[in-house]
Amino acid sequence: MTQTLTIPFGGADWATIYPALAVALSALAALLADLLLPRPVRRAAALALGILGLAAGGALAAQGWGHPYDAFNGGFVNGGFAIVFEEIVVLAAILSLLLAYPLGRDDQAAGAIALLLWSASGAMLLAGAANLMTIFLGIELLSLALYCLCGIASWRAAREAALKYLILSSTASAFMLFGMALLFGATGSVTLAALAAPPASNALYFTGAGLFLVGISFKLSLVPFHEWTPDVYEGAPLPVTAFMSVVTKAGTLAVLARFAYAALPQAQGQAILAPLWVLAALSMIVGNVAALAQTDMKRLLAYSGIAQVGYIVAALAGTSAFGLRYAIFYLVAYTFMNLGAFSVVALLSREHDEGSRLASFAGLGYRQPLLAGMMTFFLLGLAGLPPTAGFTGKILILASSVNAGYTWLAGLLVIGTAISAYAYFKVVRAMYARTAGAPLVRNAVPTSPLPWLGVGICAVAILVLGLYPIAPSDVLPLVK
Amino acid sequence: MIAALVLVPILAGLALYALPRRAEGVAQWFGVAVAFAMFGLTLAASGAPDESLRWLQRPFTASFHLGLGHGLSYWILLLLTLATGCALLVVRLPRRRDFVAQMLLELGAMSGVFLARDLLLFALFWDLMLIPVFLVLIEWAPSPRSTSSWRYLVYNLTGGLALLLATAAYGIVQGSTDVIGRAPAQLAVISDAWSFWIFAGLAFAFLIKTPVWPFHTWMPETYADLPAGMAAVVSAVQSKAGLYGFIVIGATLFPGPMHQVAPLMFVLGLVALLYGGLIALVQDDAKRVVAYSSLSHLGLIVLAIFSFNPIALGGAVVYIVAHGLFSAGLFIVLGEVEDREETRLLSRLGGLGARNPRLAGALTIVVLAALGLPGLCGFAGEILILTGLYQAGFVAAAVIALIPVVLAAAYMLRILQRTMHGPEVADVPQREDMTALEIAALAPLAIAIVLLGVDPGPLAASTQPAQPVGSSAAGPAQVARAAGTAR
Repeated sequence: MTQTLTIPFGGADWATIYPALAVALSALAALLADLLLPRPVRRAAALALGILGLAAGGALAAQGWGHPYDAFNGGFVNGGFAIVFEEIVVLAAILSLLLAYPLGRDDQAAGAIALLLWSASGAMLLAGAANLMTIFLGIELLSLALYCLCGIASWRAAREAALKYLILSSTASAFMLFGMALLFGATGSVTLAALAAPPASNALYFTGAGLFLVGISFKLSLVPFHEWTPDVYEGAPLPVTAFMSVVTKAGTLAVLARFAYAALPQAQGQAILAPLWVLAALSMIVGNVAALAQTDMKRLLAYSGIAQVGYIVAALAGTSAFGLRYAIFYLVAYTFMNLGAFSVVALLSREHDEGSRLASFAGLGYRQPLLAGMMTFFLLGLAGLPPTAGFTGKILILASSVNAGYTWLAGLLVIGTAISAYAYFKVVRAMYARTAGAPLVRNAVPTSPLPWLGVGICAVAILVLGLYPIAPSDVLPLVK
Repeated sequence: MIAALVLVPILAGLALYALPRRAEGVAQWFGVAVAFAMFGLTLAASGAPDESLRWLQRPFTASFHLGLGHGLSYWILLLLTLATGCALLVVRLPRRRDFVAQMLLELGAMSGVFLARDLLLFALFWDLMLIPVFLVLIEWAPSPRSTSSWRYLVYNLTGGLALLLATAAYGIVQGSTDVIGRAPAQLAVISDAWSFWIFAGLAFAFLIKTPVWPFHTWMPETYADLPAGMAAVVSAVQSKAGLYGFIVIGATLFPGPMHQVAPLMFVLGLVALLYGGLIALVQDDAKRVVAYSSLSHLGLIVLAIFSFNPIALGGAVVYIVAHGLFSAGLFIVLGEVEDREETRLLSRLGGLGARNPRLAGALTIVVLAALGLPGLCGFAGEILILTGLYQAGFVAAAVIALIPVVLAAAYMLRILQRTMHGPEVADVPQREDMTALEIAALAPLAIAIVLLGVDPGPLAASTQPAQPVGSSAAGPAQVARAAGTAR
């Protein structure tokens, strides 16, 4: 062995992870600002630096468009697919940061924002992760920061949520790691591309892939691995919940899509993935049924998120090229609809009260007509009604399911959507119904007007994507 | 220009929310002006070329394709804009600005349904027209515990989603959804199995929306809870969307499945016809009487459509518009009655005609139209449908369909007698008789009722594109003229 220890990667390799690095470094900058700046501006400075870092990350990622590159010996595959997911993460993180102004006590604020950014950088790593090591690295980076963030609020439920998330998520990580080990044992390689070669031992390979998918399903909170989601979402502070509801899902979906499309051998691929479509179907039904009874917006959106991820996974059924495009399109739509709804909740919150109870929406249509109108629009989108991106996304998913021969999945999607209408319109009804006896909640003065920006961005995006869905036609890339 | 028929009401409706809440009168006149402007625009745009804008490229092509033509869409749009305008003239609700805005949004969405020449666009507007009705149901429901909004939403959304799934499947199989009004020869042939199931999805949506027994249970409650103006528009026009779908989409794109399900539809139509008529006889709430009478009348139209007889089909088209005219009139007049007596229960009403002769006159006109008095529009439709059924050989059905025509006379006259005649109930302070404005609101409807009754010809002839190929001798227009002039 005459080899000297050199780092075998050049500038082009590092360039692929500049976006994630930019976000991670902006977290450090936020912490530094907290140390150096006077107390009154610390919070705002950390927030501004975070948004700046995310925007820089988004811009850097966009530069890679059209120049696909397999960096780090296939550990990070940069290309359209990775870039789209990176942009989704950046977008979701920025929209969540707009809600994050009141997050944490004064001395925690910068730390909380830094954690959020690190978590986002983990998700950005997942966007391009193409071997089992980078996948695990990304998932742990994403999750570790979130464990802390969940518990950052002072109330008891937050600590409970953090602990619950920590224990259950670690268990899932263990499953995933075990699955990865078996996959490595079966194929002798950790890169996803190598997994697609016919494995030596089927039993080992199947078990490995199954355990890996269990871990993924947990992170995606697909039924029946969803039990943690409502409790954690409810306990965590609002901006963290908003962030989790999109970023975790986007990162994990990137892994799932890459695994389903690029890593599985042609022959066994569909057999291995078949249970996943069943889980998607279960999620659509169970998630929506459970959402019916919720009286807290965070819990309602948690269950609705379970169902929405079911729709997205259903789009992947049959692993058709169309399916992936439409899954990505619906994920973008979901990002805007969900974060729009969370922004409205944030605008209703006051100190010591997050405004997420359904009761705080009572009569909102008369107290704050514009806000109520926006909320109605977002809920219409989540329910898949026009004129929103949710409607267009749903028709595209239905079309791709029918096209791939999964008509039963399309049928269940329709049933799930019909059930979900009650859950979403319950909120609309609360906002507009004239109830004589109900006490009118005091007009909320929001702790920060920043979420209005998020509301505006999301509403415009949902309308435009709904009427002019360019992306699904040609722009969205396949796995590379 | 055609796009304006959809966009102007929607934008105007949204713009109303920018008005101060107290500017109720301004909002109302603005709404009336928009509705009648749309009426004028429809007249002016008759025969204008289609307007189209590419929407989706993959997985199937779809366009924002709107077309008016001279056919059924044109007549329904005239009915819709007229009914909306008239209903808005007499609105007397609290929070009128919001109500007018919702009426305009509903006007735009429904215009979209009847103008869409793309199946996906049709599905979009189909779902869109749910929302204003739902919002009105929750905001102006008489009781906060009322469940009518849920029933309305769940039933109609389920139908809408079935329509959406069928549209997606159709798009995949056909490659394009830009198909409404295109000649069947221009389209790819779809396999029988696909064709049947896609049609089943569409038919499910159409049956719920109409509604046809046994999917009607959302309807009486919804009509009873909706404020008169919205109830008028929903029963006059929204309930026709399903029938329009059968005629314009079903008959041209899915002729095979249409014939396959015809026996079933015949049974459903006959049950609706009799059941609706019988229940209408015993309802105490006047609005519910009208609701169940709608079930009965629309059942007759279903029979006509599925008899595939050109005369019956012409009659169906006439009756679609006729029913729209008199049911809008009925709901508006009953709204006036409720305004004065604060109840709709027939058992608690009576003798209103003594002090409100003009109101009694208005109710008499719409009631007579509804029970099918010759010379008014209801008769023109009924006689064409019955003639067509008889000519197509459905003699038994034609005979059974006569029963509800008799029942209609009973329950409609019952409304008239219980509200306007009999001993006066004088426990509630009464408003004065109809004002000039209220008369002006009903006059256009009454004129249309008479005009259509005298000459239903142009309307009956408007089914040309949907007419089955190889139809028999006398066209619907000729028979219609004959029916109109025979008197």
